[in-house]
Amino acid sequence: MDNNKEQQEIFQLFLDSTELNNLFSRRQFLKLSGISIVGISALSPLLARAATSPLIILEQAKGVIIADPTKCVACRRCELACTEFNDGKAKPSMARIKVARNMNFGPKGAYAGQNGEGNWGKGLIVQDLCKQCPHPVPCADACPNDAIVAIPPINARVVDAKKCVGCRMCQNACPWEMMSFDTDTSKATKCTLCNGKPKCVEACPAEALTYTSWRDLTDKVPVRISPVAMIPAEKATMCYECHKK
Amino acid sequence: MAKFGGWAGKVLRVNLSSGRIWTEDTVEHYRDVLGGTGIGYKVLWNEVAAGTKPFDPANKIIFGVGPLAGTGAPCNGRTAITTLFPTCWPKPLVGTGHMGGQFAAELKYAGFDAVIVEGKADHPVWLSIVDKKAEIKDARRLWGQGIRRATIEISQELGPDAAVAAIGQAGENLVPMSVIMNSYSHSAGGVGAVMGSKNLKAIGVRGTGSVRIAGKKEAWEKLVKYHLSLLGANNQHVVPSTPQPWAEYSSPTRWVASKGRKWGASNPVIDTGTCDPHDLNRIAYRTTNSAYYLGDIAWQYTVRGNGCTGCPIRCHTLLKVPAVSAKYGIPETGMNTCGGLNFGRSFFKKFPDGPRGQGNLEACMVGMHMADDYGIWCNYSQLQRDFIKLYYDGTIKSKIPEKEFKSYSWDKYEGGDPAFLFELLPRIAMKDGELATALGQGTGYLLEKWGLSEEQWGEDKDLLYWKMGHPKHHSNEEVGQCGVIINTQYNRDVQCHSHTKFTRNGLPIDVQKRLAADIWGTPDAVDAMGAYTPMNMGKAQMAKWSLIRKELHDSLSLCNWMGPWVASPLKERGYRGDDSLESMLYTLATGDKKSREELDLVGERILLLHRALTIRDMGTKEMRTQHDIIPEWVYHDPNNKPVYTKGTIHLDRDDMKLAMDMYYEMMGWDKATGAPPAEAYKKLGLAKVGEELGKKNLLP
Repeated sequence: MDNNKEQQEIFQLFLDSTELNNLFSRRQFLKLSGISIVGISALSPLLARAATSPLIILEQAKGVIIADPTKCVACRRCELACTEFNDGKAKPSMARIKVARNMNFGPKGAYAGQNGEGNWGKGLIVQDLCKQCPHPVPCADACPNDAIVAIPPINARVVDAKKCVGCRMCQNACPWEMMSFDTDTSKATKCTLCNGKPKCVEACPAEALTYTSWRDLTDKVPVRISPVAMIPAEKATMCYECHKK
Repeated sequence: MAKFGGWAGKVLRVNLSSGRIWTEDTVEHYRDVLGGTGIGYKVLWNEVAAGTKPFDPANKIIFGVGPLAGTGAPCNGRTAITTLFPTCWPKPLVGTGHMGGQFAAELKYAGFDAVIVEGKADHPVWLSIVDKKAEIKDARRLWGQGIRRATIEISQELGPDAAVAAIGQAGENLVPMSVIMNSYSHSAGGVGAVMGSKNLKAIGVRGTGSVRIAGKKEAWEKLVKYHLSLLGANNQHVVPSTPQPWAEYSSPTRWVASKGRKWGASNPVIDTGTCDPHDLNRIAYRTTNSAYYLGDIAWQYTVRGNGCTGCPIRCHTLLKVPAVSAKYGIPETGMNTCGGLNFGRSFFKKFPDGPRGQGNLEACMVGMHMADDYGIWCNYSQLQRDFIKLYYDGTIKSKIPEKEFKSYSWDKYEGGDPAFLFELLPRIAMKDGELATALGQGTGYLLEKWGLSEEQWGEDKDLLYWKMGHPKHHSNEEVGQCGVIINTQYNRDVQCHSHTKFTRNGLPIDVQKRLAADIWGTPDAVDAMGAYTPMNMGKAQMAKWSLIRKELHDSLSLCNWMGPWVASPLKERGYRGDDSLESMLYTLATGDKKSREELDLVGERILLLHRALTIRDMGTKEMRTQHDIIPEWVYHDPNNKPVYTKGTIHLDRDDMKLAMDMYYEMMGWDKATGAPPAEAYKKLGLAKVGEELGKKNLLP
């Protein structure tokens, strides 16, 4: 593949990845980066790494799981299906859909007491799910080993266990706290969309989960934490190339 | 990697007198009894001497779960709590309280299959269990608080996803009619005061570990989905309560979903819909127990179903009744099922707007709010039936001081005003006054205290009293002789549902008979409810099977309110379920290959251990005459209808003697005494238990 063609493909990839993202549209990208299609060479810092490690720009996911909290009945069969049918063990703490943490007192936790949501509050059970973020993908950005990659054809953001060293930086990077950690293997893990047939969706006895075409939920679902993870220096440089004023 | 999946691997042991905490290997010590009640009975047999009293430090309380708890096997949320049962009269014997909720699964994820507590702390404590680490913590600030506050404060310490099993003031004050409660609405009856006697306020558990499935994950997924395909509604009722487009039959069952029946307090409302049994993504809508118990008025106040870890059947219902907040100053939401849901209303004989109106509903809300915080037990509503009887026949007035009698607003009570519960329930928990103290002791001790006749209680059909301080629990009203046999076997109201779930599953009797022939060898094993025929061996076989499966479920951590699954809603299967589900789940989860027959033998071993404990602690082998008692009301019809005619549930005395003969024969027990002989113990791997009983002359 000649260099020029590769550049164009990668650029297109980036545009595709952000086309549904309200925060960072094609127009904004062009404006921010101060380049035109012709001036694509400005992307060279990204492209320089293309051959050896994934870009911080990932191909857009094709699907996403959405949840209706009013229908959730708090049975946690989704968490169990996720870990039993994918990993051969029942381990809700590493489920890639997270219900238990909101089940008793709602997203605000135990300090909400009986004034929050969940079984002890007003009753709403909020299911937390991976947004399959467009750009930026905070977990992937934070990974010092580029272990979080998009796997075709669904392009879910997936942890490559071979590359993961268990540093947990990704866990501190996701504003929705959707990274999981398998304490048995000391590897991070996250929602893979089960190759387009999510086990959790299949398992829900209340039709509260739906697998659908990707849409951007990053600006629609409130975050749980302010991420504290650092972006590795090499990647930060690449961020700067596009985001500099 | 551990040899077996399923089990967490360790049993946690705590001595509150010395503060010692240690562990045992589950598989090494308890594999022969699986878990749950099996561990409970084994520990009591080996370690708690006959003659020990429930509140002695030497008594032990065993929180047992099984190899399926915490897995994705449907309906696995059960914890069995075994101890010397305080309401068992006239002498406390082994008994078990059972709770659902999140506790069982969380305990497994924390690394334990059971928690065994002995001794007595010198000040109030709670037990913290976080990922294989246990600590005894100071609970002085929690003592005197209700279950709600205790749970929230412990959750603030352990994290919002902790499971907390706590007692309320009733348990602290050693009121025998008290519960242990976890996950807001899941209680184990009759055992709260044993925790209280040990100064143990709560056990808080948080686990991030796993339960390993030994079999291939693809095989497990297939089995779980197969199991799900055979589920009905709550209590494994497999026929809808109203005609549905997909359904061949309808019958008054707990499968109440139907188009237009809505969870009206959900925002927006949710239509429960037709719920075709092949649609596994709508199982949760089949059951709405608020409407089943309280009538159509409940739909508009129903937010949603709720229940245990991993169970698609949501037998608890979350209700939202805004009026109760302004009227009674309690939260507008409340949640429970069955006895817990009905707790408040069952005290009243009538309400101004009838039995299924707003007053009834509000009494439920007030009752749940109070009972589930103070931690009061209903003894399968015997508390309320006793109360109604004792008030209306003038006993209460005659037995308690006049001043105390006048301190209650009896006009409110007679008028069906739920506010009356604010006067009565806290006093039961606090042992405040003669009436409340007597009610809190349980029926047997109440009758003894007030010089009333237990025999008279057993004659009154409306009281539903059975024996030893406890009522019937699915007896001849639903399963004829088989139900009666089952109700003779335990030391509290029987926690067995294997039998009633079959006869009440909604299928027509001809279909039930066809299924019965497969399961128990003859179609005559079952009769239509209230249209009984004389005893036969099929009924004895059904009784034996029911009891074995009860113990099996309570030891594997499967719900005996849902299993066994021998009938299904699937017409294409001829409504057959699968009698081997338990053994398939056990085998795949643990890797310990056992056929249905082999696993049933383990269940029988656990059942036999219960029998041995009862015999040892009663100090007699005369079980037939002194333990396996049938109350008089079983033999009479209020309208003098002849026995075996349609519309009467009473049975014939001689036929019931034959029934017990057949049951003992089926079990391999001595017919004259009802006691198992040495061979029976030997056959089930309990030869040493038999020998010990032999030394005490407790073998037939």
